[in-house]
Amino acid sequence: MAIMKKKKRVSGEIPTSSMADIAFLLLIFFLVTTVFDEEKGLSIVLPEPQQELEVSQKNVLHLMVRADGIVEVKRGESPSIQPVRPSEIEMIWREEVAQNPNLIAAVKTYPDAPYRNMIAVLDQLQKAGAERISLQMME
Amino acid sequence: MIQGGLKRKSKANSEIPSSSLADMAFLLLIFFMVSTTFPKEKPRRLPFPEAEATKKVDEPRKNILHVWLEKDGSVYINDVLVPMNEVSNVVAPQYEATDRKLVVSLRADRDVPYHYVDAVTKELQEAYALRVTFHTNLEQRVTRERR
Repeated sequence: MAIMKKKKRVSGEIPTSSMADIAFLLLIFFLVTTVFDEEKGLSIVLPEPQQELEVSQKNVLHLMVRADGIVEVKRGESPSIQPVRPSEIEMIWREEVAQNPNLIAAVKTYPDAPYRNMIAVLDQLQKAGAERISLQMME
Repeated sequence: MIQGGLKRKSKANSEIPSSSLADMAFLLLIFFMVSTTFPKEKPRRLPFPEAEATKKVDEPRKNILHVWLEKDGSVYINDVLVPMNEVSNVVAPQYEATDRKLVVSLRADRDVPYHYVDAVTKELQEAYALRVTFHTNLEQRVTRERR
């Protein structure tokens, strides 16, 4: 009789000491497996539709993005074209903008050029702190 | 007598009350479960371009609209395939619904030909959704080279 009573008392309680471990395990599992969808990227403000600005050619730095990733740099009115790699654009922009603070970067991309080539140029311009950027497609 | 009394007291305090620990943990678990918001659309795995100047967009999530552009030029908004010339008609109501604070996150495949991107930005301009973010992944290769 005495032995039976003792047994009953032990099994009558649900062991709650491991409950916290289980709950924390679940908590940590969900914390670790959650992936956050971050909003990030290169921000730009598009011009309003039908808004055409007359810009003097001498304030424009033409950056023509080819399909092979090479960028043709044309400075304003001068007809000479200088082909460069995208990684050189940051330096070119810094040099040019030091001479002319009103400079506008006109990024003209060929229709068949991959998107990432344009992003590479935009990346360089934003790294150099350029704020006046115009995105166009080569007609 | 005094010693016995002290012993009993210290015995009672020596155990941390762990019975409420489970409640606390479940409360935390339920809090996180309730406060989690699931994205409306199913994620598309596109290879995004990389950029060193990638910045976080500081805008409430409800003001952000994802526009997905795949390599073949198909545009998806909220899991629906939208023809290119209809994009402005889909974005315009969203622009009004967000009190003109809409930021369009253009999530385009890095190898999509540029004329598709140009067509999308023209459509966005038509819908007056002028705040655009080109979704990119942070490029870290060059920063390592510099060090």
